[in-house]
Amino acid sequence: MAPPHRSARVAVLASSAQRSRSDRYPSRVRSSTVRRLILAGLVLLSLALLTIAFRSPTGGALHDIQGYGSSALRPFQVAAERVARPFRDAYNYVSTLADAKSENKKLREEVRNWRAQALVTLAAQKQNDSLKSLLNFEQGPAYPKDYRAVNASVISFPSGPFDEQLTISAGTSSGVKLLAPVMSADGLVGHVTNVGPATARVTLITDPDSSVAAVDLTTKVTGLIRHGQGNTLILDRVPKEAVVTKGNVIVTEGTRDRRYPDLYPYGLPIGQVLSVGRSDIASFLTVQVTPFANLGSLDAVAVLVSTKPAPSLP
Amino acid sequence: MTIGDAVKAAAVLFVAAIMQVSIFAQAHILHGVPDLLLVTLVSVALLRGTIVGAAGGFFAGLLVDTATLGQLGLTSLVLTIAGYWIGRYGETTGRDRVHAPYLSVAVVTVLYTFGVLLVQFVLGEHAPAGPMLQGLVPSIVLNLVITAPVYGLVRRLLRALERADLATEVHLLG
Repeated sequence: MAPPHRSARVAVLASSAQRSRSDRYPSRVRSSTVRRLILAGLVLLSLALLTIAFRSPTGGALHDIQGYGSSALRPFQVAAERVARPFRDAYNYVSTLADAKSENKKLREEVRNWRAQALVTLAAQKQNDSLKSLLNFEQGPAYPKDYRAVNASVISFPSGPFDEQLTISAGTSSGVKLLAPVMSADGLVGHVTNVGPATARVTLITDPDSSVAAVDLTTKVTGLIRHGQGNTLILDRVPKEAVVTKGNVIVTEGTRDRRYPDLYPYGLPIGQVLSVGRSDIASFLTVQVTPFANLGSLDAVAVLVSTKPAPSLP
Repeated sequence: MTIGDAVKAAAVLFVAAIMQVSIFAQAHILHGVPDLLLVTLVSVALLRGTIVGAAGGFFAGLLVDTATLGQLGLTSLVLTIAGYWIGRYGETTGRDRVHAPYLSVAVVTVLYTFGVLLVQFVLGEHAPAGPMLQGLVPSIVLNLVITAPVYGLVRRLLRALERADLATEVHLLG
């Protein structure tokens, strides 16, 4: 007996009667061949795009089209980000309320220490400036006087464990350049690795492929800042005999050799030493650094655009 | 599938892609990140089948890669295959099953993560298995949490298939 909703014209059915595959689903064109051809076409197209983008990640016609596409999508991203911001702020407010009191006390103490240190630094800087002028000392762009900040909001965030990159709402039209350093109000964030007319992609300092030449402000010990466990960084390549202590401030080292100019100028704050590990079998110290910038919840950043030409080769 | 349906599916995926890159990507909960786009794609593919699933995956991936200035084609490739596969499941065994969206989302979250890992590895990019595995289970849970509302919404937006669309006749033999 046929179900009541079916317009069955069944009179006699063979026991092996089956609906054909193409009849099972609502489509007149969905034969398996068409389906597979469409899939194959889309996969091939994706592979073609992937190949072209991989061969020229920061230039070429495809990159330009992507840049314009990204600019076209920017208003939607900005709108979505603005809609979500109050909710995010509320969440952050509630989540940080619990330890606000203890943090306040700690910060007050830090401010006292920094204030004293700032006076010493100011005096040293004045002396440094006068000595430089006496020596006619030439150097590359210095932070902050030789840099202009291009402020931009963050419009997309790292989407997974592979992705230590974010997109910002400023591009070449605002003066953003490839490889320009990017900072937040707290410290170094990363550098620009792709730039379109109105958007740019920033690779964070926590990216596994990122390394930043850094120096301990107190002891002048140098090393390379690389990604570490969780949200921490590692000051790598620090000799075992070097002295690094917990709480020391790590900043960018800047260009030391004109032949190999660094992306970052001297003195961009990176983070503070969290712990120092020493083992008999390791060649270097294990220096864990907590970044100053809260890389997990960035709302806005500043791209540093040099106003002074980089030092040229002799 | 009418043109109106295709436009609606594209609009749904567009909104999901924008929300994913601008809002959801930042919601790190216990190392996991909810993937609204993936769940939306699964819903669309389950309701509309292979061709819409594959084309929707390609379109959504292209949007993500364009919006983030990422490696063009990477997300498209993985989402195209995911959309096709879920569409096929929806056309066959998953049809009319209550658990189909949940099962699809759980399986696709795993396959998508491994797919991206594989493509990254093939391209010689950094592909850390540790953080991926650490965040996999929370991501599955988060995706399952958003499955019911997203699937319900997509089902409301995309016209439910009418009985006339389904198989209604049997052919006479002989």
